[in-house]
Amino acid sequence: MLFSRRLMLGLAIAGTLASALTFPALAEGPTEIDLFFPVPVDGKLARDMGTLIKEFNETHPAIKATAVYTGSYDDTLIKTRASIKAGKPPAAVIMSANFLLDMQIENELTNLDPLIAADGTTKEQFLGQFFPALQGNAVINRSVYGVPFHNSTPLLYINADKAKDAGLDPSKPPQTWAELTDWAKKLTKREGDKVTQWGIAIPCAYDYCGWMMETLTMTNGGRYYNEEFGGEVYYDTPSMLGALTWWNDLVTKHKVHPPGATPGPAVSTSFISGNAAMMMLSTGSLTYVRDNAKFAYKVAFIPRNVRNAVPIGGASLIVPAGQEADKQKAAWTLIKWMTSPEKSGWWSRATGYFAPNMAAYKTPDMVEFLNKNPDAKTAVEQLDVAKPWFATYKTVPVRKTLEDEVMLVLNGKKQPKEALVAAQKAADETLKPYNAETSLKLP
Amino acid sequence: MSFAEPAALPVAASAPPRLQILNRLSHRFKTSLPAYLLLLPSLVFLALFTYGAMGRVLVDALYQRATPRAPVRFVGLDNIAAVLADPAFTGAVVNNLVYAVGTAVPSIGLALLFALALSRTNAVTSVLRAALFLPVLIPMVAASALFLFIFLPNVGLLDYYIGSLLPVLPNWLGDSDIALYAIMVITIWKNAGYYMLFFLAGLQAVPEDVMEAAHLDGAGPYQRLRHIILPELKPTFLFVTVIATLNAVTQVDHVFVMTKGGPSNATNLVLFYVYQQAVEHYDIGKASAATLLTLAALMGLTALSFRTMANREGGS
Repeated sequence: MLFSRRLMLGLAIAGTLASALTFPALAEGPTEIDLFFPVPVDGKLARDMGTLIKEFNETHPAIKATAVYTGSYDDTLIKTRASIKAGKPPAAVIMSANFLLDMQIENELTNLDPLIAADGTTKEQFLGQFFPALQGNAVINRSVYGVPFHNSTPLLYINADKAKDAGLDPSKPPQTWAELTDWAKKLTKREGDKVTQWGIAIPCAYDYCGWMMETLTMTNGGRYYNEEFGGEVYYDTPSMLGALTWWNDLVTKHKVHPPGATPGPAVSTSFISGNAAMMMLSTGSLTYVRDNAKFAYKVAFIPRNVRNAVPIGGASLIVPAGQEADKQKAAWTLIKWMTSPEKSGWWSRATGYFAPNMAAYKTPDMVEFLNKNPDAKTAVEQLDVAKPWFATYKTVPVRKTLEDEVMLVLNGKKQPKEALVAAQKAADETLKPYNAETSLKLP
Repeated sequence: MSFAEPAALPVAASAPPRLQILNRLSHRFKTSLPAYLLLLPSLVFLALFTYGAMGRVLVDALYQRATPRAPVRFVGLDNIAAVLADPAFTGAVVNNLVYAVGTAVPSIGLALLFALALSRTNAVTSVLRAALFLPVLIPMVAASALFLFIFLPNVGLLDYYIGSLLPVLPNWLGDSDIALYAIMVITIWKNAGYYMLFFLAGLQAVPEDVMEAAHLDGAGPYQRLRHIILPELKPTFLFVTVIATLNAVTQVDHVFVMTKGGPSNATNLVLFYVYQQAVEHYDIGKASAATLLTLAALMGLTALSFRTMANREGGS
């Protein structure tokens, strides 16, 4: 740790004393709450968040919300955990959707069921507002712990101009792995041994790599993890072996995909510059591509081998544990307001994420936006086949065990089968303590 | 005058020896009290932000949870054993050694070369010195973001210029064989100018008369370098080596920004491993144990080098 916990505790005590002393003076004023928010894509989001919170404060005089920028998704988790330890947690946090399970296991989340019940609605009614695919990451042990705020799925992006040059019809994008392989071969250009244009690029850096592996495994009929229980992942399975072998074949056998591990920004730059004719990337990059591509592009569902399926990504609103009752209530008001159809739609248009609230797509502004940008519609349509994002006990290290091995495969250092066996072994080791107190704790 | 130096002690010869010592101690304390008072503010802050945190790390390194919901319990040296048995840690240590040697040697060599070439002060050398010093002024995070673009496979600046010379374009940061060396290039680029400053200062201290004498005796440039300049620069070398080694352990901003230790832990350095344990694994015990091991190694290294320096000072 960068600073001592005792020190933070000391500061927290000092803070509590100070607030206790000033409490009578504040009792008449509005309830002050903090909202921690990350900016995973670009700086413009911070400005949009300021606009949103300002509007909330103007329409809710009893509450004074302050938006606190907390860096990336990972940084936001660190800062939230530090403030919980210090006894001064923020009232609400926009948290990466796959961190919720791990936080719940560590007792760091407030169960939202009582707040939903206090509104006189049922859990089913409340969750019913959101796309079904998003509910898996918000509900743990049948209790609601998060409210979906902005979400994404992976998409296939195609450079339509290059497809036409290669004699392919961009209005009929590839739908299966076989078709995609064929397209990628036709779209790859070589000068001797050197490739001047890659057929397809799929990102692989920590975080993205695990998500793409889940995507490929799901389109191959498989599952990445046990959706009902955080102690199991399915790395050493035929469906994941097929997925990794195909990815590896694109690199080593067909030579239509750049070798090595390439992070997301490098993939999108490569696509924008025309160096890669197709890419698989998040819907969150749609706005970036729309603003920067100097060619006609097309987006399509991720092609299937066995079935059409994709994982979701994005973030949910949570209330950290250990919050005072009045602040909890104020946070709940803020959360409901932010995820309402109008605000959800506004945020979606500002950022490029899709709106989790289904009613958002019935608002006139959104209907008009989708008519103008049909590519955004593809992203929403793919939600019909979307499923939860992997979340386990210690999600990040468990994911990293797979990613390290996938990177070895893409670098030609290991064969898919031995890589997946090693990844499974390492992941099981990390999950062991959790299984010891759940699935393997026997009477 | 000095506060810490006690005045002559007027002690009665008949007093028992034990009392005498006590007397002397209390007197000593009284005379040095102002010194301690003057030091107090910095001591408070050091205690709060440095020693307090170090003590906390020491304590945390001895505790661990058996299962996620179990309370922490005292485990002695188990955390240290677990860290030493972790292949990711030993991998990070090996990477860090390669990184330390591979950045210290070239950057010091370059720094010496620059300093020798630019030791005379005139308009041209001043401009060149400023140019070479420029990378030091750029924050590591900003520099990393720049190099991220330079290293982009196929479309980055590097491939744009040298791409046609290579048979196959490498994935600079995505290939586990190359990534660590790519990271090292940034460190060398960033630090060589900084170390040059120390060598420039060291060169000012080379006695002019000795150089002139050597010149008159017919010593060539190489002989002057080999027998006069390099021996005179020995303390500078020692100092810069220590700084470069410490930098190799403590400056990992570019790993954070560019590779996050990847691909496949190829660029994982010890400090980043500590971060991963604390943040990603949420394992404070192991993170503290790894911190302790790193601190011990660094303190050992520093103590050794300062003793060598002190010996040299005493000997000459």
